[in-house]
Amino acid sequence: MTDTSDSLQSGDRIELKFPARGDLIVLARLVTSAISARAGFDIEELEDLRLAVGELCLLTLQGSDARSGDLCLVLTVLDDAIGVASTLERATAGDGRTEVEGEDSAQLSEQILGALVDEHGRESKDGQVRAWMRKQRGGHAE
Amino acid sequence: MEQKFQIEERAGGSTPVIAVSGEIDVATAPQLRECLHRVIAQGESTIVLDLLDVTFLDSTALGVLVGALKRCREAGGDLHVVVADPRIMKIFEITGLTNVFTIAESLQAAGA
Repeated sequence: MTDTSDSLQSGDRIELKFPARGDLIVLARLVTSAISARAGFDIEELEDLRLAVGELCLLTLQGSDARSGDLCLVLTVLDDAIGVASTLERATAGDGRTEVEGEDSAQLSEQILGALVDEHGRESKDGQVRAWMRKQRGGHAE
Repeated sequence: MEQKFQIEERAGGSTPVIAVSGEIDVATAPQLRECLHRVIAQGESTIVLDLLDVTFLDSTALGVLVGALKRCREAGGDLHVVVADPRIMKIFEITGLTNVFTIAESLQAAGA
């Protein structure tokens, strides 16, 4: 990618927050695709990141017993990689908005992430789930 | 350009064809699940699922396909999946589902 004014540099950080609903995960995919393009990833890597970030959001929702809240995505441009972290914020139980299927689907998400990114993980602390991934530029994780 | 999610049922041949276009994800997969389950409940045990115009597929969609495949096989049939786009095929490959589904590159090859 040529160094144009709309390119992103190492250290640049972008946050996206939206209601934790499955039909809005498309926003995470669109933003990740746009940010990755500006961070110098090639078209194949963009496709991988678009799919991977959707799975990351699903893992965040699957890992939580919450039924509402905001999904917060933080994308960080690194020297030769991009890092993405997803957390569920302001979660409360009971209104049925985040209807994402359970562990079978989580296994598939883990498999997809394992093939498409260089590192990924999911941790739970104080009832809050955080899923993260990192993909290197030019690395082609698969 | 994003293609609108649509499901089209094509009866008439020996095997029913369900053609999907657009993105199958956590938001749209339930519609596909409902359609597949309804067709199976109507007595069809073998279905051709045409994914030639699908532009995106996530783990939720794969979960729906696996569920439908189980139902078809329990009824003595099969779920034939038609995929030509390498990006869609890659998702089946990395999840090992190429060994689970009967995948064809064209409707003709799928016996539709």
